[in-house]
This record gives sequence, structure tokens and C-alpha cells, in this order.
Amino acid sequence: MSRSADIVAGAEQRLAAAPVPEEFEKGTSLWEDAWHRLQRNRLAMISLFVFSAIVLFCVIGPFLSPYDAEAQDLLKGAQGPSAEHWFGTDTLGRDLMVRTMEGGRISLLVGLIATLVALAIGVVYGATAGYLGGKVDATMMRIVDTLYALPFTIFVILLMVAFGRSLWLIFVAIGAVEWLSMARIVRAGVIGLKKQEFVEAAVSLGYSHTRIIVRHLIPNVLGPVIVIATLTVPAVMLLEAFLSFLGLGVQPPNASWGVLINEGQQNMEIFPWLLMFPAFFFALTLFTLNFLGDGLRDALDPKSAKD
Amino acid sequence: MSDSDTALREDFLVLENVEQHFDLGRALLTRESKGVVKAVDGISLTIREGEILGIVGESGCGKTTLSRTIMQLIRPTSGRIFLEGKELSALSDADIRAERINFQMIFQDPYASLNPRLTVFTTISEAIRTRHPDVRGEALRGRVIELLRTVGLNPAQMNRYPHEFSGGQRQRVAIARALAPEPKLVIADEPVSALDVSIQSQILNLLKRLSREMGLTMIFVSHDLSVVRYIADRIAVMYRGRIIELGRAETIVDDPRHIYTKALMSAIPQPDPRAERTRERILLEDEPPGADKSPGKDVEDDLEEVTPGHLVSTRPFERRVKEAEAPAQ
Repeated sequence: MSRSADIVAGAEQRLAAAPVPEEFEKGTSLWEDAWHRLQRNRLAMISLFVFSAIVLFCVIGPFLSPYDAEAQDLLKGAQGPSAEHWFGTDTLGRDLMVRTMEGGRISLLVGLIATLVALAIGVVYGATAGYLGGKVDATMMRIVDTLYALPFTIFVILLMVAFGRSLWLIFVAIGAVEWLSMARIVRAGVIGLKKQEFVEAAVSLGYSHTRIIVRHLIPNVLGPVIVIATLTVPAVMLLEAFLSFLGLGVQPPNASWGVLINEGQQNMEIFPWLLMFPAFFFALTLFTLNFLGDGLRDALDPKSAKD
Repeated sequence: MSDSDTALREDFLVLENVEQHFDLGRALLTRESKGVVKAVDGISLTIREGEILGIVGESGCGKTTLSRTIMQLIRPTSGRIFLEGKELSALSDADIRAERINFQMIFQDPYASLNPRLTVFTTISEAIRTRHPDVRGEALRGRVIELLRTVGLNPAQMNRYPHEFSGGQRQRVAIARALAPEPKLVIADEPVSALDVSIQSQILNLLKRLSREMGLTMIFVSHDLSVVRYIADRIAVMYRGRIIELGRAETIVDDPRHIYTKALMSAIPQPDPRAERTRERILLEDEPPGADKSPGKDVEDDLEEVTPGHLVSTRPFERRVKEAEAPAQ
């Protein structure tokens, strides 16, 4: 066509004759790009650090503490913070620091597991509905709408009445509610994606539906999903605290932060530390997760970042 | 290659009265049909093995729908499509999947046609394994390297992700992916229209060279007649879901018979400024309103052979010439 085309053709031929390259350049995936952007976000990185510290504190702490979370010492009941008991003791003489750690374990566990349950169900369900489309999609999403309409508190109370109180039931109850929004987000993302040519290319290569969903659609909607998941963890922890506050959640002698805060508020005017310490850790966790979620959103979708 | 080199099939790809109609559904209250869009409205074509057929037409004429229909990305409303004698349009969705490695597509937008989460190596190696599922490790790597070289990419960059390449390079990756399953037919749907003009010629030359070297049969779809006449052996001109003129590329370019083809030809700027000044311009009137809902069944075969291999539509053409003048200068 032109001289420049000849030059390019010549370059192509030289390239074809070149020996096997010794070294391969390393590519930067979109995940790595996002991680670099996140690292530049100071608030998000501090939050990540503080959150990790809280997790370590709660997970490892009880092993290092000389006290047992359930060991009562009524002679030392309701003492303020001291060198012996850093966070003080509760009305039954239990060390509040260990109780805060143990409560944190349960609160974090509820937050993480319920979110993971919601994530797993929501992603698979939403991606399937969005990909298949048509009547299947309509039916699947009407089911979601119906479940959305159920009042959460009544749903949980019914579950508790029917199956008795247990920690697992809390996971199920919260997970069952939280996956709905996850499914909607994933479905919307998949519907947007499946019109993209790379999905048509995958169809053209004869890949199976499962493979297209798992390998080509889900990884590309995971960005917003991760953000939502990060913001769901604190929401779930709040829900659990709310349930425990109502007495529907974790049962004594087990404690979550919600239970501790409930106990604390009963004696708020006389023994304020009983409320302060668990509330402080709970609030700090919620703050850091929210900041981290915001940071992730900016990092994963740089276009939406506001300057 | 195999013995197919010695005996090229005349009826490599056959379309028999292919139609692709989209129902617009019914109005909410009156339940009246909103009508049917006839994106592809009765197309019959026979494509020889190893030839490049160019399909031109304005946007909305159904050329992209036609390529997606041949690709079986949308199954035809009616009509039959045969590839090497096998009727694709009759296969079930499950059977068509196994058949897909034989016909591949190069898409228009290289920014949308590559999965952004996969490296070039992953994208291409997975495409290779659709035909050769047992190839892995060093052998697979060798094939990927070879393929990347064929399309003019540096194999040292194969662990990169699509966003780390330019548009032209991405289109080369997309071409490599289309070639990876060793298809017999490649459909290129506007493969250069998203690229810079300087890159367009590189990609066109690459496609031309590849089809010659590999004996590929290619359907090249574009709105740009100047691009199509450069690459194609034969050209089909599409208008409103039908072919209105079909013939060898030189014939269509030098001796267009249909007024629409003449109008298309007259829109190509001439490189020579003197020729450009005296170029004849044919402008057509706008489409009559409501013309897109033409009711009733049309004559099935309205193409008339004016000279051997040169077919022109005999249907009355509703658009009149508005202006036909050689601008005086």
C-alpha cells in the first residue's frame, strides 16, 4: 500500500526470524495497578494497618493474656483500669481486656464469614442471572425482590424461634440478607459486560457457559464487589451488634462487641470503662473498614475517584 | 497444509436466503406489534475457499448482524448456512460449540475485544488449546511465541496485559487469538475502523499476508469501500439487509452498476488533487420515512447477472439522486 507498510512488513519478517527471547517482560495486571494506587492513599493504608493490628490483637491477644475470658473473680468485680487489669474488670470480675479480645474475635468472625457467605452466593447467583438473561433472569431477580421485602428483624426472630439461638444461625441470617444486594450489583455488572466483544470472542472460541462466567465475567466485576464486601463487613458487624443488643445474638458466656456494649451501657454511669473499651474498638474497626472500602473503590475504579 | 491446497472448495461457505429479524415486541397497552427489524433480509452467497470477500455498506445496513449470524453468535431467523458442506444453522447449541474452532472472528474494537484480566500469553494459549487441548508447557509456549511473531508482536512482551499495548498492537493480539484455533474461516468485522489511519494499513497488510500464507478464507466487513477494495477479491455491497451488488473487486470499483454503489464509489476521495477536484459526486436523497418497516414478503432472488460473476439487484431503488455533479474548478 505504501512505503511505510513495506517497512513494517520488513520489521515483521525480521521479528519472525529473531531467536527465542531470553527474558520476558513482566506485565502489570489491573490488580497490581490498583494495589499501587491504594498504597498512595495514606488514609486507606493507615486504616489497613490499624485494622490488621486490631485483628492481631483479638486473635493472638487471648493467648498472651494471663486471664481467662470466663474466669470470674467476684472479689475484684467492676474495678477500673489498673496495672493488673489494663481495661479493668466487669461486674463479675472478668478481665475486660480478654473479654474485648474474645468479643472482637466473634464480631470479626461474624463480619467475615457472613460477608463471605453473601459474597459467594451473591456472585454466583447474580452472574448466572445476568449471563443467562431473559426469563431465567427475571425469575431469579423476582426471588431476590421478594426476599428483600422481608423485614430483617422479624426474619431473624422467626429463625431464632424456629431453630434456637446459635452463632451459626446468625451467620446464616445475616448472610441470607446481605447476598441480595451483592447479587444485584454482580448482575448489573455482568449485563454490562456480556455485550463486550471479549465475551463474544470467548463464545466464538467455544468456551462453556461456566468457563465464560468464571473466567471472563466474574473477574471483571470483582472490583466493585470487593468494595461492597469491604463495606459489608462493618455493616454485618453492626447488624450482629444490633441483634446482640436486643438479646437475639450471641449468648453469654460468649461475648461479641455488641454484647459487651450492651452490658456496658447498663452500667454506663457507674463503670464507664465497661462501655468505653469495647465501643472504642468497635468504632475503630468500623471506621478503618469504611476508609479502606473508600480507598479500594478509588483504587479499583480510578475513573470514579474524586480529587 | 493438507490436500485442500490442491482442490479448493468452490462452495466453502454457503448462505441460503439467510434472514435475521428482530421482533421489537408489543406495545404495552394496545398489544400492537411494534414491528420487525429486518437486519438481514434474505441473503444468499457462496464463498470460495481461500478468497477474501469484502462486505461494504453504510452503518445499520446489517453487515455486522450478518457477520454475527454467520458466526452463530445469533442464530438466523431463517435460511441455512453451510461451512464445508456442514449445515451450521441446523446444529444444536452444544454441537455448535465444538464446531466453533473452525470459524473465528476479529472484532472492531481492540480495546473491548480482549479480556483485561488475562495476559496476552493466557489469552492466546487458551485459544490454542481449544484445538489442541493436550499441548502444554514448553510446547504451548513455543506455539504462542510463533503465533505472536506471525502477527508481528514481540514475544518478550507476552506476559503483559492488554492495557499495556497500543490499539494496533491489541488488534494484532486479537488477530493472533483468532488464528490460534487454526480456523478455516475468519470474519473480520471492521477490524481497522477503530485504529489510526497509519496503523490501518499495517493491519490490512498483515491480514492480506496471513490470508495468502495460511490459505484462509476471509470475510472482511467495512463501511469503507477504499479499505475493502484494497484487501478483497470480491465485494458484496449491502443495503438495508440485502445484497444489491456483488462481483470481483475490480469490477465493482471500475464498473459499478447500481446507483447506490456508484454513490458509495463517488464518496472515496482521490489521492491525486487534480482528480479529486474533478471527482464526480453522487449524493442520494434521504431514505423515505417508514422505509425500515417494509411489509410483506419480498422477491427472494432479485440479483441479475450483468456480466459473468457480476450480480446487480433488480429491485426498484427508492432513493433518488439528489445531486450528480463534477464540481467545476
